[in-house]
Amino acid sequence: MADRVERLTNLLALLLETRRPLTLHEIASELGGQYPDAGQARRAAFERDKASLREIGIDISSETFGGDRAGEMGYWIDRSGFELPHLDLTDDEVRALQLALAATRPDSAIGEEALWKLGGVGGGVGGPIRMHLPELPALPVLRSAVATRHPVSFTYAGATRHVDPWGILLRDGFWYVIGFDHDRSDRRTFRVDRCESEISIDASVEFERPDGASLEGALPANPLLLGDEVEGAQTALIHIASRRAWLVEREVGADRVQDRRQDGSIIISIPFTNEEALRSWVLGFLDDAELLEPREVRERLINWLESVS
Amino acid sequence: MAQRPATERLRRLLIILPWLMEQGEVPVEDAARRFSIGVDDLIRDLELVSMCGLPPYVDEMVDVFIDEGMIFVGVPRLFTRPLRLSEVEAFELLAAGRAAMQLPGADPDGALARGLRKVAVGLGEDDTGLLVVNPTPPVVQDLTDAVENGRRVEVHYQSSTSAEPALRQIEPFVVFSSQGNWYVHAHDVGSGGLRTFRIDRIESLSVVGNAENEPPSSMPEPGIWFADADIERVTLRVGPRGKWVYERYPVDEVSVADAEGWVTVRLAVTSQQWLARLLLRLGDSVEVVEPSTMKSVRVEAAAQVLRRYADG
Repeated sequence: MADRVERLTNLLALLLETRRPLTLHEIASELGGQYPDAGQARRAAFERDKASLREIGIDISSETFGGDRAGEMGYWIDRSGFELPHLDLTDDEVRALQLALAATRPDSAIGEEALWKLGGVGGGVGGPIRMHLPELPALPVLRSAVATRHPVSFTYAGATRHVDPWGILLRDGFWYVIGFDHDRSDRRTFRVDRCESEISIDASVEFERPDGASLEGALPANPLLLGDEVEGAQTALIHIASRRAWLVEREVGADRVQDRRQDGSIIISIPFTNEEALRSWVLGFLDDAELLEPREVRERLINWLESVS
Repeated sequence: MAQRPATERLRRLLIILPWLMEQGEVPVEDAARRFSIGVDDLIRDLELVSMCGLPPYVDEMVDVFIDEGMIFVGVPRLFTRPLRLSEVEAFELLAAGRAAMQLPGADPDGALARGLRKVAVGLGEDDTGLLVVNPTPPVVQDLTDAVENGRRVEVHYQSSTSAEPALRQIEPFVVFSSQGNWYVHAHDVGSGGLRTFRIDRIESLSVVGNAENEPPSSMPEPGIWFADADIERVTLRVGPRGKWVYERYPVDEVSVADAEGWVTVRLAVTSQQWLARLLLRLGDSVEVVEPSTMKSVRVEAAAQVLRRYADG
């Protein structure tokens, strides 16, 4: 039997060069004996080849004939969707991309192949400063849905959500997808690692992204405001012991310091909407932080501690 | 040697052929090395495609021959351009590039920015669809300078175990950001060993001299540096509201969730105080399974904090 690479290469060449869609019968006869003769075995072999080419990133287009060949399928490959467009990258631009990959995704085989396609090589050495990029299988699909403006659907917190993805964002070590949630009729932000199903794309629809839709604005900079709408924030007063004061002041900013005590401790005032996040943040300091206000949140924090002691 | 799968061979060929056509002629060794493929594999696959052809449609589609260790390419016909970037490759490039643009020293008009823009345009994207936000504390730049110039620095460092920040001298080797935090991997002069420090716990920094130690041959991989076998482990039962623990912290293993959504998690504990904070934040969404010596940590920590509220 001929090497399968040979059959795949011939199939690829034939479907790229043809000026009209070809039926499986025509393909098999052009490939002269490379496909089995029996109808069913031939179909199975062809489907396997189609799947292999798709795996490489080559989509075979098809259409159903009408007229005297009604019901028969014709196949071809669209060259414009096959080839890398000319990007006109200069050598230093390709090298910069190589260093970017080395700094964020060392040893990525996928990145190396991408660089080869751009005319570069992989295996760059990361410099003195690096950043780890969390990897998730849903991200490439989401990115291309953002670029092609196709709505997506996925399971999140047990429910199916239909979303126009405006963009994806990495912050504080987590990937988020931001967009218009059709089930809630509002803008929503989802943690990509919490999507419970694969992402399906609806390629039949193209959505419009509203002007000025900003990804950065979708996530409040203060984690205590995460998880809820920003409207209706309350203010918390927290007493921070002197030995942690510098750390907290650096985190929340000097303008949040409401009072500085003689002993070096500080009282800070911060807005919050998410009581759970606030409690978690305060307890992270053990007895170096004390929540003073709001009183009822303080009471609930004390109950929380009593329930586990 | 086992035959490589047909799809992988074809995919590699479709990358190699356009490059060969641009070169015209090239030593087999060079091509094989560049594309991480064995010389014999490369020769066999090139000979195979050069024999492909389907008259009258495609007559001799790839004009390649190999002689005396050289590859020669004739008139390019088919496969003159690489395949477009796959979804995964596109994401990889853009995410890596956007992330690197967030690192200190990135030039908004530099080669990376220009290259990224061209890639994005080629993918039919604008600049706003994929963002990386990674604020950099000023100390990061100082530490990076110290790495580049081979300096020893003195830092005022708040460790997770001690009450007050303490002075220590370190020789930084690499600065990295992982899961939203910045770290520096350095030779710790006091202990004479390699340590990883959290940069947000460095209160101040000053250069004290030149580094005396060579960088280690391998650096910790961002993301797995925490998987240090020497650090004590604890096993926890974590409820559904405590999901963030195993999403946020590096863990050795997470069991499948039971019907109520509880899982068993094994993770590294850098200090008892760190565990105390974690347990208090989780409240009744966590139970310590083992070691038994850690079972009292939460009760003691809760009592300690409650004393403060009783005084206040």
